[in-house]
Amino acid sequence: MPKQRYTGPLEQVSETCWRIPRDYKPGMLVDGLIYATRELIEQIRDDQAPEQVANVAFLPGIQVASLAMPDIHWGYGFTIGGVCATDPEEGGVISPGGVGYDINCGVRLMRTNLNQDDVQPHLDRLVGELFKEVPCGVGRQGKYHFSRKELEELMRHGPRQLIDRGLAVDADIEHTEAEGCLEGARPDLVSDRAYERGARQCGTLGGGNHFLEVQIVETIHDERAAQAMGLTPGGVCVLIHSGSRGLGYQVCDDALRLLRGAPKRYGIDLPDRQLACAPVHSPEGAAYLGAMRAAANFAWCNRQLLMWQAREVFERVFGRTWQELGMDLVYDVAHNIAKFEEHRIADRTKRVWVHRKGATRAFPPAIRRLRKRTRRSASRSSFRATWAGRVGFWPGSRGAWSGRSAPPATERGGR
Amino acid sequence: VFEFFDHTADAGFRVLAPDRETLYRDAARALFSLIVEDLDTVEPLEQVHLELSGNGDDDLLFDWLNELLYLYDTRGLVFSRYALRWTETGLEADVAGAHPDPDRLLHEVKAITYHDFEVNQTEPGWEARVIVDI
Repeated sequence: MPKQRYTGPLEQVSETCWRIPRDYKPGMLVDGLIYATRELIEQIRDDQAPEQVANVAFLPGIQVASLAMPDIHWGYGFTIGGVCATDPEEGGVISPGGVGYDINCGVRLMRTNLNQDDVQPHLDRLVGELFKEVPCGVGRQGKYHFSRKELEELMRHGPRQLIDRGLAVDADIEHTEAEGCLEGARPDLVSDRAYERGARQCGTLGGGNHFLEVQIVETIHDERAAQAMGLTPGGVCVLIHSGSRGLGYQVCDDALRLLRGAPKRYGIDLPDRQLACAPVHSPEGAAYLGAMRAAANFAWCNRQLLMWQAREVFERVFGRTWQELGMDLVYDVAHNIAKFEEHRIADRTKRVWVHRKGATRAFPPAIRRLRKRTRRSASRSSFRATWAGRVGFWPGSRGAWSGRSAPPATERGGR
Repeated sequence: VFEFFDHTADAGFRVLAPDRETLYRDAARALFSLIVEDLDTVEPLEQVHLELSGNGDDDLLFDWLNELLYLYDTRGLVFSRYALRWTETGLEADVAGAHPDPDRLLHEVKAITYHDFEVNQTEPGWEARVIVDI
Protein backbone atom coordinates (compact mmCIF):
# COMPACT_ATOMS: atom_id res chain seq x y z
CA MET A 1 0.00 0.00 0.00
CA PRO A 2 1.77 3.19 -1.13
CA LYS A 3 1.91 6.37 0.91
CA GLN A 4 -0.72 8.94 -0.02
CA ARG A 5 0.50 12.31 -1.28
CA TYR A 6 -0.88 15.49 0.26
CA THR A 7 -3.05 17.21 -2.35
CA GLY A 8 -4.44 20.09 -0.27
CA PRO A 9 -3.43 23.76 -0.48
CA LEU A 10 0.06 25.06 0.27
CA GLU A 11 0.30 28.81 -0.35
CA GLN A 12 3.72 30.38 -0.50
CA VAL A 13 4.10 33.10 2.15
CA SER A 14 7.82 33.72 1.69
CA GLU A 15 10.87 31.95 0.36
CA THR A 16 10.83 29.64 3.37
CA CYS A 17 7.25 29.62 4.63
CA TRP A 18 4.12 27.92 3.29
CA ARG A 19 0.54 28.29 4.51
CA ILE A 20 -2.33 25.86 4.76
CA PRO A 21 -5.22 28.35 5.04
CA ARG A 22 -7.71 27.79 7.84
CA ASP A 23 -10.56 27.52 5.35
CA TYR A 24 -9.00 24.30 4.01
CA LYS A 25 -11.04 22.25 6.50
CA PRO A 26 -14.05 23.32 8.52
CA GLY A 27 -12.97 23.20 12.17
CA MET A 28 -9.48 24.62 11.67
CA LEU A 29 -9.08 27.50 14.14
CA VAL A 30 -5.84 28.91 12.71
CA ASP A 31 -3.68 28.52 9.60
CA GLY A 32 -1.00 25.88 9.31
CA LEU A 33 2.50 27.26 8.63
CA ILE A 34 5.31 25.06 7.33
CA TYR A 35 8.86 26.45 7.27
CA ALA A 36 10.67 24.94 4.32
CA THR A 37 12.44 25.77 1.09
CA ARG A 38 10.73 25.00 -2.22
CA GLU A 39 12.85 21.89 -2.58
CA LEU A 40 11.88 20.64 0.87
CA ILE A 41 8.20 21.42 0.44
CA GLU A 42 8.10 19.14 -2.59
CA GLN A 43 9.39 16.30 -0.41
CA ILE A 44 6.97 17.23 2.37
CA ARG A 45 4.04 16.83 -0.06
CA ASP A 46 4.97 13.17 -0.52
CA ASP A 47 3.01 12.00 2.49
CA GLN A 48 0.26 13.10 4.86
CA ALA A 49 2.41 15.33 7.09
CA PRO A 50 0.76 18.58 5.84
CA GLU A 51 -2.67 17.05 6.52
CA GLN A 52 -1.54 16.48 10.10
CA VAL A 53 -0.45 20.12 10.35
CA ALA A 54 -3.99 21.07 9.33
CA ASN A 55 -5.51 18.65 11.86
CA VAL A 56 -3.55 20.17 14.75
CA ALA A 57 -5.16 23.52 13.89
CA PHE A 58 -8.43 22.08 15.30
CA LEU A 59 -7.10 22.05 18.89
CA PRO A 60 -9.04 24.50 21.10
CA GLY A 61 -7.07 27.47 22.36
CA ILE A 62 -4.36 27.14 19.69
CA GLN A 63 -2.36 30.34 19.23
CA VAL A 64 -1.15 31.98 16.00
CA ALA A 65 -0.82 28.88 13.81
CA SER A 66 -0.16 25.17 13.72
CA LEU A 67 3.58 25.25 13.06
CA ALA A 68 5.83 22.77 11.30
CA MET A 69 9.62 22.70 11.07
CA PRO A 70 11.58 22.11 7.83
CA ASP A 71 12.10 18.41 8.49
CA ILE A 72 8.49 17.45 9.23
CA HIS A 73 7.42 13.98 8.40
CA TRP A 74 4.32 11.89 8.80
CA GLY A 75 3.83 10.76 12.38
CA TYR A 76 0.71 9.76 14.24
CA GLY A 77 -1.66 12.55 15.29
CA PHE A 78 0.82 15.41 15.25
CA THR A 79 3.37 15.49 12.49
CA ILE A 80 6.95 14.85 13.64
CA GLY A 81 8.51 18.31 13.63
CA GLY A 82 5.26 19.95 14.73
CA VAL A 83 4.86 22.79 17.24
CA CYS A 84 1.61 24.03 18.75
CA ALA A 85 0.97 26.54 21.53
CA THR A 86 -2.33 26.67 23.42
CA ASP A 87 -3.54 29.27 25.90
CA PRO A 88 -5.20 27.71 28.97
CA GLU A 89 -7.10 30.96 29.58
CA GLU A 90 -8.76 30.58 26.19
CA GLY A 91 -9.85 26.99 26.82
CA GLY A 92 -6.50 25.73 25.57
CA VAL A 93 -5.94 22.00 25.62
CA ILE A 94 -3.07 19.67 26.28
CA SER A 95 -2.68 16.73 23.90
CA PRO A 96 -0.40 13.76 24.71
CA GLY A 97 -0.14 13.15 20.97
CA GLY A 98 1.60 16.52 20.69
CA VAL A 99 4.41 15.23 22.85
CA GLY A 100 4.53 11.67 21.60
CA TYR A 101 5.00 8.31 23.25
CA ASP A 102 8.67 8.87 23.92
CA ILE A 103 8.22 11.76 26.34
CA ASN A 104 11.35 13.94 26.48
CA CYS A 105 13.14 12.06 23.79
CA GLY A 106 16.19 14.22 23.25
CA VAL A 107 19.86 14.45 22.51
CA ARG A 108 22.91 15.33 24.55
CA LEU A 109 26.35 16.15 23.26
CA MET A 110 29.46 15.50 25.33
CA ARG A 111 32.84 16.90 24.29
CA THR A 112 36.27 15.44 25.03
CA ASN A 113 39.90 16.64 24.94
CA LEU A 114 40.67 13.80 22.54
CA ASN A 115 41.14 14.17 18.83
CA GLN A 116 40.79 11.69 16.03
CA ASP A 117 44.44 10.60 16.19
CA ASP A 118 44.13 9.80 19.91
CA VAL A 119 41.11 7.61 19.36
CA GLN A 120 41.91 5.84 16.08
CA PRO A 121 44.34 3.26 17.57
CA HIS A 122 41.80 2.33 20.26
CA LEU A 123 38.68 2.49 18.12
CA ASP A 124 37.89 -1.24 17.99
CA ARG A 125 38.21 -1.62 21.73
CA LEU A 126 36.30 1.59 22.41
CA VAL A 127 33.37 0.61 20.21
CA GLY A 128 33.38 -2.95 21.57
CA GLU A 129 33.33 -1.75 25.17
CA LEU A 130 30.59 0.79 24.46
CA PHE A 131 28.45 -1.96 22.93
CA LYS A 132 29.10 -4.20 25.90
CA GLU A 133 28.61 -1.64 28.67
CA VAL A 134 25.89 0.66 27.39
CA PRO A 135 22.68 -1.35 27.03
CA CYS A 136 21.26 -0.86 23.56
CA GLY A 137 18.81 -2.51 21.23
CA VAL A 138 15.50 -4.18 21.77
CA GLY A 139 14.90 -5.89 25.11
CA ARG A 140 18.19 -4.98 26.88
CA GLN A 141 17.93 -4.06 30.55
CA GLY A 142 20.19 -1.72 32.45
CA LYS A 143 22.70 -2.22 35.24
CA TYR A 144 21.14 0.43 37.49
CA HIS A 145 18.43 -0.75 39.85
CA PHE A 146 16.12 1.74 41.49
CA SER A 147 13.47 1.01 44.09
CA ARG A 148 10.03 2.48 43.59
CA LYS A 149 10.85 5.18 46.12
CA GLU A 150 14.06 6.04 44.27
CA LEU A 151 12.24 6.15 40.95
CA GLU A 152 9.74 8.56 42.47
CA GLU A 153 12.58 10.83 43.52
CA LEU A 154 14.17 10.67 40.06
CA MET A 155 10.85 11.59 38.52
CA ARG A 156 10.31 14.44 40.96
CA HIS A 157 13.77 16.01 40.81
CA GLY A 158 15.50 14.71 37.68
CA PRO A 159 19.23 13.96 37.39
CA ARG A 160 20.19 16.27 40.29
CA GLN A 161 19.04 13.30 42.35
CA LEU A 162 21.91 11.26 40.87
CA ILE A 163 24.64 13.53 42.29
CA ASP A 164 24.54 11.86 45.71
CA ARG A 165 24.95 8.47 44.07
CA GLY A 166 28.08 9.71 42.32
CA LEU A 167 26.46 9.44 38.88
CA ALA A 168 26.27 13.15 38.03
CA VAL A 169 28.03 16.40 38.86
CA ASP A 170 26.69 19.95 39.16
CA ALA A 171 28.03 20.96 35.76
CA ASP A 172 25.99 18.17 34.11
CA ILE A 173 22.80 19.56 35.59
CA GLU A 174 23.69 23.13 34.62
CA HIS A 175 24.12 22.08 31.00
CA THR A 176 20.81 20.25 30.77
CA GLU A 177 17.69 21.97 29.48
CA ALA A 178 15.56 23.17 32.40
CA GLU A 179 18.38 21.84 34.60
CA GLY A 180 16.86 18.42 34.03
CA CYS A 181 13.73 19.08 36.03
CA LEU A 182 10.23 20.19 35.10
CA GLU A 183 8.58 21.51 38.25
CA GLY A 184 5.22 20.07 39.18
CA ALA A 185 6.02 16.46 38.37
CA ARG A 186 3.53 14.03 39.91
CA PRO A 187 5.14 10.57 40.22
CA ASP A 188 2.08 9.58 42.25
CA LEU A 189 0.03 9.88 39.04
CA VAL A 190 2.34 7.54 37.12
CA SER A 191 0.75 4.09 36.85
CA ASP A 192 2.15 0.88 38.30
CA ARG A 193 2.54 -0.37 34.74
CA ALA A 194 4.74 2.58 33.89
CA TYR A 195 6.91 1.96 36.96
CA GLU A 196 7.15 -1.69 35.97
CA ARG A 197 8.21 -0.83 32.41
CA GLY A 198 10.71 1.78 33.54
CA ALA A 199 12.23 0.05 36.56
CA ARG A 200 15.10 -1.64 34.73
CA GLN A 201 15.38 0.79 31.81
CA CYS A 202 16.93 3.91 33.32
CA GLY A 203 20.35 4.03 31.67
CA THR A 204 19.41 2.10 28.52
CA LEU A 205 19.33 3.41 24.95
CA GLY A 206 16.46 1.33 23.55
CA GLY A 207 16.01 0.47 19.91
CA GLY A 208 14.69 2.25 16.83
CA ASN A 209 16.60 5.37 15.93
CA HIS A 210 18.12 5.83 19.39
CA PHE A 211 21.89 5.83 19.46
CA LEU A 212 25.13 6.64 21.20
CA GLU A 213 27.76 7.72 18.70
CA VAL A 214 31.41 8.64 18.90
CA GLN A 215 31.72 11.55 16.49
CA ILE A 216 34.40 13.83 15.07
CA VAL A 217 33.86 17.57 14.65
CA GLU A 218 34.32 18.06 10.91
CA THR A 219 33.47 21.72 10.34
CA ILE A 220 33.13 24.76 12.58
CA HIS A 221 30.51 27.22 11.37
CA ASP A 222 30.80 29.71 14.22
CA GLU A 223 34.18 30.08 15.93
CA ARG A 224 32.95 31.92 19.02
CA ALA A 225 30.10 29.53 19.70
CA ALA A 226 32.31 26.50 19.13
CA GLN A 227 34.92 27.89 21.49
CA ALA A 228 32.32 28.42 24.19
CA MET A 229 31.14 24.84 23.76
CA GLY A 230 34.68 23.48 23.81
CA LEU A 231 34.46 22.13 20.27
CA THR A 232 37.44 22.14 17.92
CA PRO A 233 38.00 20.69 14.43
CA GLY A 234 38.96 17.02 14.68
CA GLY A 235 37.73 16.88 18.28
CA VAL A 236 36.01 13.73 19.46
CA CYS A 237 32.48 14.01 20.85
CA VAL A 238 29.80 11.64 22.03
CA LEU A 239 26.20 12.21 20.94
CA ILE A 240 23.40 10.40 22.74
CA HIS A 241 19.80 10.12 21.51
CA SER A 242 17.25 8.46 23.79
CA GLY A 243 14.16 9.25 25.87
CA SER A 244 11.95 8.02 28.67
CA ARG A 245 11.88 4.39 27.51
CA GLY A 246 8.94 2.15 28.45
CA LEU A 247 7.98 4.39 31.35
CA GLY A 248 7.23 7.32 29.07
CA TYR A 249 5.46 5.16 26.48
CA GLN A 250 3.18 3.87 29.22
CA VAL A 251 2.48 7.37 30.58
CA CYS A 252 1.38 8.47 27.11
CA ASP A 253 -0.64 5.33 26.61
CA ASP A 254 -2.37 5.69 29.98
CA ALA A 255 -3.20 9.32 29.19
CA LEU A 256 -4.68 8.47 25.80
CA ARG A 257 -6.83 5.81 27.42
CA LEU A 258 -7.98 8.29 30.07
CA LEU A 259 -8.76 10.80 27.34
CA ARG A 260 -10.79 8.44 25.19
CA GLY A 261 -14.05 10.10 26.12
CA ALA A 262 -12.65 13.53 26.94
CA PRO A 263 -13.05 15.28 23.57
CA LYS A 264 -16.75 14.38 23.56
CA ARG A 265 -17.14 15.35 27.22
CA TYR A 266 -15.67 18.77 26.58
CA GLY A 267 -17.34 19.26 23.20
CA ILE A 268 -14.13 19.09 21.19
CA ASP A 269 -14.38 17.92 17.59
CA LEU A 270 -11.20 16.25 16.33
CA PRO A 271 -10.31 14.81 12.93
CA ASP A 272 -7.95 12.15 14.38
CA ARG A 273 -8.34 10.12 17.59
CA GLN A 274 -4.60 10.33 18.18
CA LEU A 275 -5.08 14.07 18.81
CA ALA A 276 -7.16 13.23 21.91
CA CYS A 277 -6.88 16.11 24.34
CA ALA A 278 -8.45 17.79 27.34
CA PRO A 279 -8.46 21.38 28.56
CA VAL A 280 -5.34 22.22 30.58
CA HIS A 281 -7.76 23.32 33.33
CA SER A 282 -9.47 19.94 33.68
CA PRO A 283 -8.80 16.92 35.89
CA GLU A 284 -7.68 14.86 32.88
CA GLY A 285 -5.41 17.62 31.57
CA ALA A 286 -3.83 18.20 34.97
CA ALA A 287 -3.28 14.47 35.49
CA TYR A 288 -1.45 14.12 32.18
CA LEU A 289 0.70 17.19 32.82
CA GLY A 290 1.81 15.85 36.21
CA ALA A 291 2.69 12.44 34.81
CA MET A 292 4.28 13.87 31.64
CA ARG A 293 6.61 16.06 33.73
CA ALA A 294 7.56 13.00 35.81
CA ALA A 295 8.38 11.04 32.65
CA ALA A 296 10.36 13.99 31.26
CA ASN A 297 12.49 14.12 34.41
CA PHE A 298 13.02 10.36 34.17
CA ALA A 299 14.25 10.80 30.58
CA TRP A 300 16.88 13.31 31.69
CA CYS A 301 18.04 10.77 34.26
CA ASN A 302 18.21 8.15 31.52
CA ARG A 303 20.44 10.30 29.29
CA GLN A 304 22.58 11.24 32.30
CA LEU A 305 23.20 7.56 33.09
CA LEU A 306 23.92 6.78 29.44
CA MET A 307 26.50 9.56 29.41
CA TRP A 308 27.97 8.36 32.70
CA GLN A 309 28.43 4.84 31.33
CA ALA A 310 30.16 6.28 28.26
CA ARG A 311 32.53 8.20 30.58
CA GLU A 312 33.34 4.99 32.43
CA VAL A 313 34.18 3.21 29.18
CA PHE A 314 36.45 6.06 28.01
CA GLU A 315 38.20 6.04 31.40
CA ARG A 316 38.97 2.33 31.06
CA VAL A 317 40.07 2.51 27.45
CA PHE A 318 42.27 5.61 27.81
CA GLY A 319 43.45 5.04 31.41
CA ARG A 320 42.55 8.55 32.56
CA THR A 321 39.66 10.02 34.52
CA TRP A 322 36.77 11.52 32.61
CA GLN A 323 37.70 14.92 34.05
CA GLU A 324 41.23 14.56 32.65
CA LEU A 325 39.69 13.56 29.33
CA GLY A 326 37.59 16.76 29.43
CA MET A 327 34.36 14.81 28.99
CA ASP A 328 32.02 17.69 29.75
CA LEU A 329 28.39 17.87 28.77
CA VAL A 330 27.96 20.56 26.11
CA TYR A 331 24.18 20.54 26.28
CA ASP A 332 21.12 18.33 26.53
CA VAL A 333 17.92 19.27 24.69
CA ALA A 334 14.51 17.63 24.60
CA HIS A 335 12.60 17.31 21.36
CA ASN A 336 9.36 15.63 22.54
CA ILE A 337 7.94 17.75 25.30
CA ALA A 338 5.29 20.24 26.39
CA LYS A 339 6.34 23.25 28.46
CA PHE A 340 4.56 26.24 29.95
CA GLU A 341 6.30 29.25 28.43
CA GLU A 342 6.01 32.98 28.08
CA HIS A 343 5.69 34.35 24.54
CA ARG A 344 4.73 37.61 22.86
CA ILE A 345 1.53 36.95 20.95
CA ALA A 346 -0.32 39.75 19.17
CA ASP A 347 1.41 42.44 21.28
CA ARG A 348 0.58 40.68 24.54
CA THR A 349 2.76 38.58 26.78
CA LYS A 350 1.05 35.27 27.34
CA ARG A 351 1.79 32.08 29.21
CA VAL A 352 1.06 29.21 26.87
CA TRP A 353 1.55 25.47 26.74
CA VAL A 354 3.92 24.71 23.88
CA HIS A 355 3.81 21.19 22.48
CA ARG A 356 6.97 20.21 20.61
CA LYS A 357 7.09 16.85 18.90
CA GLY A 358 10.36 16.25 17.15
CA ALA A 359 11.23 19.92 17.59
CA THR A 360 13.48 21.88 19.92
CA ARG A 361 13.31 25.37 21.35
CA ALA A 362 15.97 27.79 20.18
CA PHE A 363 17.07 30.92 21.97
CA PRO A 364 18.52 34.08 20.48
CA PRO A 365 21.86 35.37 21.87
CA ALA A 366 22.13 36.74 25.42
CA ILE A 367 19.09 34.97 26.73
CA ARG A 368 19.03 34.59 30.49
CA ARG A 369 17.95 30.96 30.48
CA LEU A 370 21.25 29.82 28.97
CA ARG A 371 24.29 29.32 31.15
CA LYS A 372 26.74 32.20 31.19
CA ARG A 373 29.54 30.37 29.38
CA THR A 374 27.29 29.50 26.45
CA ARG A 375 25.32 32.75 26.54
CA ARG A 376 28.37 34.95 26.04
CA SER A 377 29.17 33.45 22.72
CA ALA A 378 25.85 32.24 21.50
CA SER A 379 24.93 33.48 18.10
CA ARG A 380 21.84 33.17 16.04
CA SER A 381 23.53 31.03 13.44
CA SER A 382 24.90 28.51 15.89
CA PHE A 383 21.56 27.98 17.55
CA ARG A 384 19.55 27.91 14.38
CA ALA A 385 21.10 24.55 13.77
CA THR A 386 19.36 23.08 16.79
CA TRP A 387 16.09 24.88 16.29
CA ALA A 388 14.27 22.01 14.68
CA GLY A 389 15.91 19.30 16.69
CA ARG A 390 18.51 19.10 14.02
CA VAL A 391 21.39 17.81 16.07
CA GLY A 392 22.58 14.67 14.40
CA PHE A 393 20.17 14.93 11.50
CA TRP A 394 21.15 17.06 8.55
CA PRO A 395 18.62 19.46 7.04
CA GLY A 396 16.75 17.85 4.21
CA SER A 397 17.40 14.33 5.34
CA ARG A 398 14.03 14.20 7.12
CA GLY A 399 15.29 11.71 9.58
CA ALA A 400 17.54 9.89 7.15
CA TRP A 401 21.06 9.20 8.27
CA SER A 402 23.58 11.12 6.30
CA GLY A 403 27.13 12.03 7.08
CA ARG A 404 27.73 8.81 8.94
CA SER A 405 27.53 5.10 8.39
CA ALA A 406 24.17 3.73 7.36
CA PRO A 407 21.95 2.45 10.16
CA PRO A 408 20.85 -1.16 10.35
CA ALA A 409 17.84 -2.06 8.26
CA THR A 410 15.58 -2.00 11.30
CA GLU A 411 16.11 1.70 11.88
CA ARG A 412 13.90 4.38 10.46
CA GLY A 413 13.55 8.11 10.45
CA GLY A 414 11.62 9.98 13.09
CA ARG A 415 12.23 10.75 16.67
CA VAL B 1 -3.95 -12.43 6.55
CA PHE B 2 -2.04 -9.24 7.17
CA GLU B 3 0.17 -6.93 5.15
CA PHE B 4 2.47 -4.12 6.20
CA PHE B 5 2.09 -0.73 4.56
CA ASP B 6 4.54 2.03 3.99
CA HIS B 7 4.77 4.74 6.66
CA THR B 8 7.44 7.43 6.86
CA ALA B 9 8.49 7.14 10.50
CA ASP B 10 6.43 4.34 11.96
CA ALA B 11 5.06 0.99 10.85
CA GLY B 12 1.56 0.06 9.81
CA PHE B 13 -0.34 -3.08 8.99
CA ARG B 14 -3.71 -4.00 7.53
CA VAL B 15 -5.47 -7.19 8.52
CA LEU B 16 -8.18 -8.95 6.50
CA ALA B 17 -9.98 -11.83 8.16
CA PRO B 18 -13.10 -13.94 7.59
CA ASP B 19 -14.16 -13.64 11.25
CA ARG B 20 -13.50 -11.63 14.37
CA GLU B 21 -11.28 -14.21 16.08
CA THR B 22 -9.02 -14.48 13.06
CA LEU B 23 -8.85 -10.69 12.89
CA TYR B 24 -7.59 -10.48 16.48
CA ARG B 25 -5.19 -13.38 16.00
CA ASP B 26 -3.71 -12.05 12.77
CA ALA B 27 -3.37 -8.55 14.22
CA ALA B 28 -1.35 -10.07 17.07
CA ARG B 29 0.75 -12.02 14.57
CA ALA B 30 1.39 -8.83 12.61
CA LEU B 31 2.48 -7.02 15.77
CA PHE B 32 4.89 -9.76 16.84
CA SER B 33 6.20 -10.15 13.30
CA LEU B 34 7.49 -6.60 13.65
CA ILE B 35 9.21 -7.52 16.91
CA VAL B 36 10.78 -10.89 16.07
CA GLU B 37 11.95 -12.83 13.03
CA ASP B 38 10.15 -16.05 12.06
CA LEU B 39 7.33 -15.72 14.57
CA ASP B 40 5.92 -19.10 13.56
CA THR B 41 8.96 -20.85 14.99
CA VAL B 42 8.42 -19.35 18.47
CA GLU B 43 7.38 -22.29 20.65
CA PRO B 44 4.33 -22.01 22.94
CA LEU B 45 6.37 -22.66 26.09
CA GLU B 46 4.74 -20.20 28.49
CA GLN B 47 1.05 -19.47 28.73
CA VAL B 48 -0.67 -16.31 29.97
CA HIS B 49 -4.36 -15.74 30.61
CA LEU B 50 -5.83 -12.34 29.69
CA GLU B 51 -9.15 -10.71 30.44
CA LEU B 52 -10.12 -7.47 28.75
CA SER B 53 -13.30 -5.51 29.13
CA GLY B 54 -14.85 -3.27 26.53
CA ASN B 55 -17.72 -3.18 24.12
CA GLY B 56 -16.75 -1.81 20.75
CA ASP B 57 -14.14 -3.53 18.64
CA ASP B 58 -12.36 -0.20 18.19
CA ASP B 59 -11.35 -0.18 21.84
CA LEU B 60 -11.12 -3.92 22.31
CA LEU B 61 -8.76 -4.66 19.43
CA PHE B 62 -6.63 -1.71 20.52
CA ASP B 63 -6.53 -2.96 24.12
CA TRP B 64 -5.76 -6.50 22.97
CA LEU B 65 -2.68 -5.41 21.04
CA ASN B 66 -1.68 -3.03 23.79
CA GLU B 67 -1.91 -5.76 26.44
CA LEU B 68 0.25 -8.10 24.38
CA LEU B 69 2.82 -5.35 23.92
CA TYR B 70 2.84 -4.64 27.65
CA LEU B 71 3.43 -8.34 28.40
CA TYR B 72 6.28 -8.40 25.92
CA ASP B 73 7.85 -5.26 27.35
CA THR B 74 7.64 -6.35 31.00
CA ARG B 75 8.15 -10.12 30.72
CA GLY B 76 10.05 -10.38 27.45
CA LEU B 77 7.56 -12.89 26.05
CA VAL B 78 6.70 -13.10 22.37
CA PHE B 79 3.40 -14.85 21.73
CA SER B 80 2.76 -17.08 18.74
CA ARG B 81 -0.45 -18.89 19.76
CA TYR B 82 -3.72 -17.24 20.69
CA ALA B 83 -7.04 -18.76 21.83
CA LEU B 84 -9.81 -16.17 22.25
CA ARG B 85 -13.32 -16.22 23.71
CA TRP B 86 -15.78 -13.37 23.78
CA THR B 87 -17.60 -12.82 27.04
CA GLU B 88 -20.43 -10.57 28.17
CA THR B 89 -17.95 -7.96 29.34
CA GLY B 90 -15.30 -8.24 26.65
CA LEU B 91 -12.67 -10.78 25.83
CA GLU B 92 -10.74 -13.63 27.45
CA ALA B 93 -7.68 -15.14 25.90
CA ASP B 94 -5.01 -17.72 26.54
CA VAL B 95 -1.83 -16.79 24.75
CA ALA B 96 1.37 -18.79 24.58
CA GLY B 97 4.88 -18.01 23.53
CA ALA B 98 8.50 -17.85 24.61
CA HIS B 99 11.46 -15.59 25.33
CA PRO B 100 12.98 -15.05 21.90
CA ASP B 101 16.65 -15.28 21.07
CA PRO B 102 17.90 -11.64 21.29
CA ASP B 103 19.55 -12.03 17.89
CA ARG B 104 16.14 -12.50 16.33
CA LEU B 105 14.63 -9.28 17.65
CA LEU B 106 13.81 -6.71 14.99
CA HIS B 107 12.02 -3.52 16.08
CA GLU B 108 11.29 -1.87 19.38
CA VAL B 109 7.55 -1.19 19.20
CA LYS B 110 6.87 1.66 21.59
CA ALA B 111 3.10 1.73 21.35
CA ILE B 112 -0.04 1.02 19.38
CA THR B 113 -1.35 4.35 18.10
CA TYR B 114 -4.88 5.59 17.49
CA HIS B 115 -3.74 7.33 14.32
CA ASP B 116 -5.83 6.00 11.41
CA PHE B 117 -6.81 3.08 13.65
CA GLU B 118 -9.80 1.35 12.09
CA VAL B 119 -11.82 -1.80 12.62
CA ASN B 120 -14.62 -2.56 10.16
CA GLN B 121 -16.96 -5.44 9.60
CA THR B 122 -17.26 -5.72 5.83
CA GLU B 123 -19.30 -7.89 3.50
CA PRO B 124 -16.69 -10.67 3.22
CA GLY B 125 -15.47 -10.42 6.83
CA TRP B 126 -13.40 -8.12 9.01
CA GLU B 127 -10.74 -5.51 8.30
CA ALA B 128 -8.43 -3.54 10.60
CA ARG B 129 -5.76 -0.92 10.07
CA VAL B 130 -3.14 -0.26 12.73
CA ILE B 131 -0.13 2.06 12.95
CA VAL B 132 2.45 1.40 15.65
CA ASP B 133 5.16 3.71 16.93
CA ILE B 134 8.61 2.26 16.43
